[in-house]
Amino acid sequence: MKRWLLRRLAQAGITLAIAMVLLFVLMRLAPGDPLSRLGENRPLSPAETEALRVRYGLDQPLLAQFGVFLRGAARGDLGTSIEYGRPVSALVRERLPATILLGGAVLLLNFTIGIWLGVRQAVRRDSVLDRWLTTVSLAGYAMPSFWLGLVLAWLVGVKWRLLPAAGMQDPLLGPDADWGARGADVLRHLVLPALTLSIVSIAATMRYQRTAMLEALALPYVTTARAKGVRESLVRWRHAWRNALFPVLTLFGLWLPVLVTGSVFVESVFAWPGLGSLAAGAVGYRDYPLLMGTSLLISALVVAASLLTDLAYAFLDPRVRLS
Amino acid sequence: MTRSRPRTFLGTALTALVLVCPLGAQARDPNTIVIVTGQQATVPVPTLMEGADNNLANLEVADQLFLRLAGFGPSLTTVGERDFVPRLARSWSRQDSLTLVFDLDPRARWHDGVPVTGADVVFTFERARNPAIAPRLADLLRHISSVTAEGERRVVVRFSQPYAEQFYDVVYHVAPLPSHLLMGLTQDELKRSEFVRNPVGNGPYRWVRSVPGQFIELAANKRFFLGRPAVARVFVRIAADPDARINFLLSGEADALENIVPPIANLARIEAARNLRLVPVPSPTVGYLLFNQRAPGDPERPHPILADRSVRRAITLSLDRQALVQSVFGTYAQVPFGPAAPILWIRHNAPAPLGPDPAAAGRLLSAAGWVDRDGDGVLDRDGRPLLLRLNFPNTSAVRGQMALQVQEQLRRVGIAIELQRLEVPVWLERRSGGHFDIDFSSASQDPSPSGLTQSWSCSGGDNVAHYCNARVDTLMERAIRGTGNPADSWHEVLRQIEDDAPATFLYAPSYVHAIDRRFGHVTIRPESSWLELRQWTVERARERPRSGY
Repeated sequence: MKRWLLRRLAQAGITLAIAMVLLFVLMRLAPGDPLSRLGENRPLSPAETEALRVRYGLDQPLLAQFGVFLRGAARGDLGTSIEYGRPVSALVRERLPATILLGGAVLLLNFTIGIWLGVRQAVRRDSVLDRWLTTVSLAGYAMPSFWLGLVLAWLVGVKWRLLPAAGMQDPLLGPDADWGARGADVLRHLVLPALTLSIVSIAATMRYQRTAMLEALALPYVTTARAKGVRESLVRWRHAWRNALFPVLTLFGLWLPVLVTGSVFVESVFAWPGLGSLAAGAVGYRDYPLLMGTSLLISALVVAASLLTDLAYAFLDPRVRLS
Repeated sequence: MTRSRPRTFLGTALTALVLVCPLGAQARDPNTIVIVTGQQATVPVPTLMEGADNNLANLEVADQLFLRLAGFGPSLTTVGERDFVPRLARSWSRQDSLTLVFDLDPRARWHDGVPVTGADVVFTFERARNPAIAPRLADLLRHISSVTAEGERRVVVRFSQPYAEQFYDVVYHVAPLPSHLLMGLTQDELKRSEFVRNPVGNGPYRWVRSVPGQFIELAANKRFFLGRPAVARVFVRIAADPDARINFLLSGEADALENIVPPIANLARIEAARNLRLVPVPSPTVGYLLFNQRAPGDPERPHPILADRSVRRAITLSLDRQALVQSVFGTYAQVPFGPAAPILWIRHNAPAPLGPDPAAAGRLLSAAGWVDRDGDGVLDRDGRPLLLRLNFPNTSAVRGQMALQVQEQLRRVGIAIELQRLEVPVWLERRSGGHFDIDFSSASQDPSPSGLTQSWSCSGGDNVAHYCNARVDTLMERAIRGTGNPADSWHEVLRQIEDDAPATFLYAPSYVHAIDRRFGHVTIRPESSWLELRQWTVERARERPRSGY
């Protein structure tokens, strides 16, 4: 186990390093000068441009720039954003909580509701409920999240005024408000963006879970368990479901990073101050330091999610040995 | 029993959502205003708003915190000193053509209670005129030779040469900073200081807090020497997405929205809300098709098509600019005469722009040798088709929409346009490097027409299309120096530019703001939208019992 973990960590490190090198090189190969926006309002003189190049290390050879990035990253210093003029680590720290909150809520909703509904569908195969949920899940899966977000914001936020149409907190709620009130306020703001992202992801989880569960329910050991008189709920959840969980686990590993990067439109529609829009903006403005900082985080998430998934496999399936 | 569980679960969840969620909505204080904007103010501190921080978001918040020496009058005239109104300076006088004297209002106080003195003004100008600290400001203030204090309240500003906008340069570009808090700090120390996180100003509002990516809170300065503001608290909420901004407003979570961007259907949605009113304001923006007069990427050679003035004029005459403006902005924009944005005072009494005349355009092109010889619908000369590439940024919905219509209108006269929708850094790189035929530009101008030299003088820093007419340079210099009547000189500049057709000037929009009707005495300033917020009132009869979700 220990050797396996060390080997996987080494693999993760190598994957991360390759991703960083590729990102660094590809970003600089893309057309567009990162300093051009600084002169958008007032053209910069050649001396000013040169001073800015020196300030952001853009006058250095590519290899030297990468070395500076690596040395800084090792110290937790991801450089200074060209667009914001502030340390990248500070910007990421500011946006990370909102991303974790939204991503966490979506994962929770996705894998509780999605799994539960998927299992219900499988055990009631070909029933009215199954057919109805299949139709709904296909519709949910086919729905573009930005469109759904716009519709929900307009309908629930503007037309019915049931929930906030956008934002993460009500500014009128002062900093001296108690934790309960502030928590409830954030939750209210969370509902619509989380629902928008969840509807699409739940649909996918349901489909995967239903298929896996149907396969598991048809296996001989389930028939054996039933023949032995094991209670039906135990047959379903302990015997069948545990084995039907693996495809969904893989999905979890894939969803984790997607929730950071894939929520750009939803963050935008709901003015949610997360990392997705920050990273997208960095690409749009060629803000190299910010792009490297956010990419490092996202790549680390991908690698960590993959590692976690492998560990979960071993934990849930005694046939898998971490060696 | 089992079958009913999903229904029960969903029913309970929905009921909880509907009943519980709205309970926590905050009752709104009518004396509070929530303004929605697209960008967060990150450094609303004079002399620090450079580079990417030189943006409208910082400027508008800084204008609530820091007072300038004087403000614009209604005409927005930048020449002389007659059309300005007192702010931090109670009065001013001119000693000679090179010296201005300002007397500060003795009632003025910083938010920490310390009086504002001439030393603060001197300290600020020392920072602003230092190119190592504020290169943009140092360039704008280059004609100021010294700023000195005489006693506690008097400031003397000397210039290196006489010119028409001396007063404007002193009062507009920079607002004084508190020297008692900042003296001795290096630029880096200041940038990292507590002052940048919690600025201490002297304006009608004081800084309360900032929640990054979400909002900024300001509170009325109860001891403000020009009168306590009626609107007690100001929240500036951030939403980069235009739809999210409109949703904030229509859901009642915001009271004001600045610059509602096209499509015009957005304006109709807001007009339909009974509690809101639209307030159009002259904008600093002018949009135009900029013609490269040199070969793309080779400034030594003339452009094979656009170096010819006849072709450029023919393009202008081929376009129905009024129809273009109407389709994108409705009634909230005009076709400009020359590169004069609506905010510029020189647009008053300027001549009317030319109307469309495709027949005249055809004659000009034909005389220049452009004829459709192969019958493919595109004019050609010496075997070369009249094909031009039009670059525009992918972030501008206005330019994207108009570019399509320009393409179609020019197709009818035999000019083929290839649209190049580019990412902003790529578009900017091609623009500044001269790698374009036609660039769909949008300039945001200062209230001073002297900024036109940047793009339209031979040596202008933003003259990326290499337009050069010595007469225009001479006229501009005369207008800036104030020789003769500056308005006449500027109109002559515009006339000459229109005649040379270095660009087709397409649109000069108004910025349309939406404001809740409970606010009275609403004035929105073109140079900084919320500048007069301190004079707004709250009309009790129109107070909403509860707004928001």
